[in-house]
Amino acid sequence: MAWTWFHRLGSPPYVYRLAQRLTPWFAWSAGIILIGATFDALVLAPPDYQQGEGYRMLFIHAPSAWMSTMVYTTMAIAAAVGLIWRIKVAHAVAASCATLGATFTAATLATGMLWGKPMWGAYWVWDPRLTFELVLLFLYLGYIGLRASFDDVQRADRASAVLAIVGVIDVPLIHYSVVWWNSLHQPASVMKLGTPSIAPVMLIPLLAMFLGCTLYFAALLLTRLRGEILRRERAATWIREVLAS
Amino acid sequence: MSEFLHMGKYAQYVWPAYGIVLVCFLLNIYWARRALAQARAEARRRLAIQKENE
Repeated sequence: MAWTWFHRLGSPPYVYRLAQRLTPWFAWSAGIILIGATFDALVLAPPDYQQGEGYRMLFIHAPSAWMSTMVYTTMAIAAAVGLIWRIKVAHAVAASCATLGATFTAATLATGMLWGKPMWGAYWVWDPRLTFELVLLFLYLGYIGLRASFDDVQRADRASAVLAIVGVIDVPLIHYSVVWWNSLHQPASVMKLGTPSIAPVMLIPLLAMFLGCTLYFAALLLTRLRGEILRRERAATWIREVLAS
Repeated sequence: MSEFLHMGKYAQYVWPAYGIVLVCFLLNIYWARRALAQARAEARRRLAIQKENE
């Protein structure tokens, strides 16, 4: 009995309709939270005692970085579930992640460069964390390229799943790079055990950004997922129904 | 207001960074909606062909 919900999540028509129902909730809450958090980050939060107004890049750089690794982890888990249990919907989830993850990895690198120039004196240094984040961008691009090289969706799913799973090793490397190696990059302030080493007036907009980004990801994932499910389905009856609505 | 736009002396770094992220947010919304619309259109075409063959 307890497993019926899990089995339903493997059923394309059920997931399609669920995604359709949930998307507006995630989208609107994400929009409201992100607008509020941006106002807080740019206007209400006080300047930093060392970096002045320049630290405000934190509020978009750290959430972008969170998105880049969180989306990749989601993609790798979904790909593994799809590969092991041969669940089409799981492959569709994995395929829905890549573009979003790639753009936010690029945004992480770009905002990091714009933050690095005034604070470190250089746009780019071959620091472990920066390098592994760049590797993550190449993993996403490789995944997208690999998928595009197959005409058959099922074969693209299986091949790209292997790449996604192998590449997930990069996620802990990014996270722990600042601990394991000498790094110019500052260590974690929030994503660690113990009390966050950041003042509440700055922590609140940052956490709101994290939350808003996660909800935004959920809304976009569900939107793309519907398209990916339609591409994988040949049974006509339920598709006719959902297309009519 | 001009003080706010000035961002200390960091305006040339802060605003482009916020701009890049905003563009990413909006582009992904546009791409996701377009991908869904294309998949729906393709599914419609497929159904129409199936119907003709029946």
